[in-house]
Amino acid sequence: MKPTPVAHAPAGANSGAQGLRTGDQPPLVLRAIHAISTLFGVVAAVMILASVLITCHMIFVRGVLGRSTVWQTEAVIYLMIGATLLGLPYVQKLRGHVGVDLLPQMLPPLARRVLVVIVMLATIAMVAAMVWYGWEMFHLAWKRGWKSESVWAFPLWITYLSVPLGFGLYLVQLLADLWMASFAPHQEIPDPHLERSPD
Amino acid sequence: MEPLTLGLLVAIATVVVLFSGVSVAVGLLIVATLFLWIFDGARSLEALPELFYAELNSFALLSIPMFIIMGAAIASTRAGPDLYEALERWLTKVPGGLVVSNLGACALFAAMSGSSPATCAAIGKMGIPEMRRRGYPPEVAAGSIAAGGTLGILIPPSVTMIVYGIATETSIGRLFLAGVMPGLLLTLLFIAWAIFDTWRRGAASAALSSAKYTWRQRFEILPRVLPFLAIIAGVLYALYGGVATPSETAAVGALLCIFAAIVIYRMFNAHDLWIVLRDSTRESVMILFIIGAAGVFSFMLSSLFVTQSVAQWIAALDVNRWVLMAVINLFLLVAGFFLPPVAVILMSAPILLPIITSAGFDPYWFAVIVTINMEIGLITPPVGLNLYVINGIAPDISLRQVLVGSMPFVGCMILAIVLLSLFPGIATWLPEAVMGVAL
Repeated sequence: MKPTPVAHAPAGANSGAQGLRTGDQPPLVLRAIHAISTLFGVVAAVMILASVLITCHMIFVRGVLGRSTVWQTEAVIYLMIGATLLGLPYVQKLRGHVGVDLLPQMLPPLARRVLVVIVMLATIAMVAAMVWYGWEMFHLAWKRGWKSESVWAFPLWITYLSVPLGFGLYLVQLLADLWMASFAPHQEIPDPHLERSPD
Repeated sequence: MEPLTLGLLVAIATVVVLFSGVSVAVGLLIVATLFLWIFDGARSLEALPELFYAELNSFALLSIPMFIIMGAAIASTRAGPDLYEALERWLTKVPGGLVVSNLGACALFAAMSGSSPATCAAIGKMGIPEMRRRGYPPEVAAGSIAAGGTLGILIPPSVTMIVYGIATETSIGRLFLAGVMPGLLLTLLFIAWAIFDTWRRGAASAALSSAKYTWRQRFEILPRVLPFLAIIAGVLYALYGGVATPSETAAVGALLCIFAAIVIYRMFNAHDLWIVLRDSTRESVMILFIIGAAGVFSFMLSSLFVTQSVAQWIAALDVNRWVLMAVINLFLLVAGFFLPPVAVILMSAPILLPIITSAGFDPYWFAVIVTINMEIGLITPPVGLNLYVINGIAPDISLRQVLVGSMPFVGCMILAIVLLSLFPGIATWLPEAVMGVAL
């Protein structure tokens, strides 16, 4: 059973080529991008699962063994941040980022395509800015060898890296979607948001 | 520029940007970036990733994916239909019949899964055809499930409440408790209306259940239903016993729910487990992305002094606090028509909370008011998700009939808001009784 049923279309897990019919395969580059996004989606899922297990381990160590914990809380936070950022391209691929698509849906096909392309370009510019400034943040932490202010003293560049990396992969997936939105036949324009509400 | 004029500009820009169809998170980032760039200079943009990162850098946020995994694990099993069966067998003698068990099952499943569309689908798949077979009018069958599903974001544990707690820095445990009695109140109002509507439409005989179940049948279904209920009860108990933080208890709950799904519902298939994990990841990433973006957005609001000046301006207006509350309700209602609950709460909480508290309203009581407004948005067009879910599982009931059936339940919710305004204790009594008076 699908936990969160969607009214419009199933959010395809295997839709490497979203909306394209057989015999009309997208270029290899696009398929490669989809594969990379999916790979990082799996990584994000594993990070979330790992944070479940680490948190339970922490409770066991503290509650049952009665010892203090050093690294668990911090590790779980870094895993969450990592999962969020590295999961961005996969969720984009699944059309899981919610938005208000009332206006685009009311427009005729041509105007809709123009609006979708404009929105994508704006999204790409925003995400590119996050990659740019995120890289500087990571680079500074790397160059100066920043460590977290805890007993564990975790090297911060590792977790900071998730910002430019996650947004960078998201950018690549968005460029693939932009290609689809611009050149794919109009009935195959990817719906901007399959899911409209998280609740 | 005056901060107040700036605030108006931000509001207009946000509406325009969000209505373009951009995703909520990126839209918030775009508006925040533009205003910081124009009014604070290009150098302020260097802080963007740090602001985003800092917002996510919190252990409390862990409770979001954990509760989502709990809900997804439960929703992936047959727990919904089983729960429905169990209530149907146990509640045959209760006047009102099937619609009572349906709404009761919605309320319980809502508590377990924390998700409105999942509740609609899980209970509606069995409940709607069964109600119609027994002669309930289609409007009642569809409307009661659509409305019953919305209880998911009010009855604890609720992701919407967690997000409110994070956005307003209020206690998640206390918020959960605040949702309990209003959730029961809404369930009772829904039941009352459903019975009245059935009678009004001349189908009263349908409500008189004729089904008979033996005690054996009643007990044999319990082992399949009780484990999940016990896990949820255990999680909430641990939360209030002060044993662990919401994030920690939710992590244990998530692990137990996955185990229960595997052991009790025999979900040995790796693919099924991946679906649970994938859907949880998708939903968590989506919400956490909005949270990070909303952090940047609210930084922009306060660094341009919009938050502070709007609060001062409202205070200077010196309007009656209930007029103020009515206006805020209207705003939330309209926002909820278009935006998902999580987005509305994250965007408006930094502005609304100072106004609310300075007008002497309780932030926990307000959380319930916000949530009920968001519930209304789930069963009203244009983006009422539950309406489409119902339409998907019962395609022969037209969207118009679903809507006609659901609208009176919106009336019930507005009535609940009025009752809560008259008797705030409905929301505040339980948290104060369990956890003491809020500081």
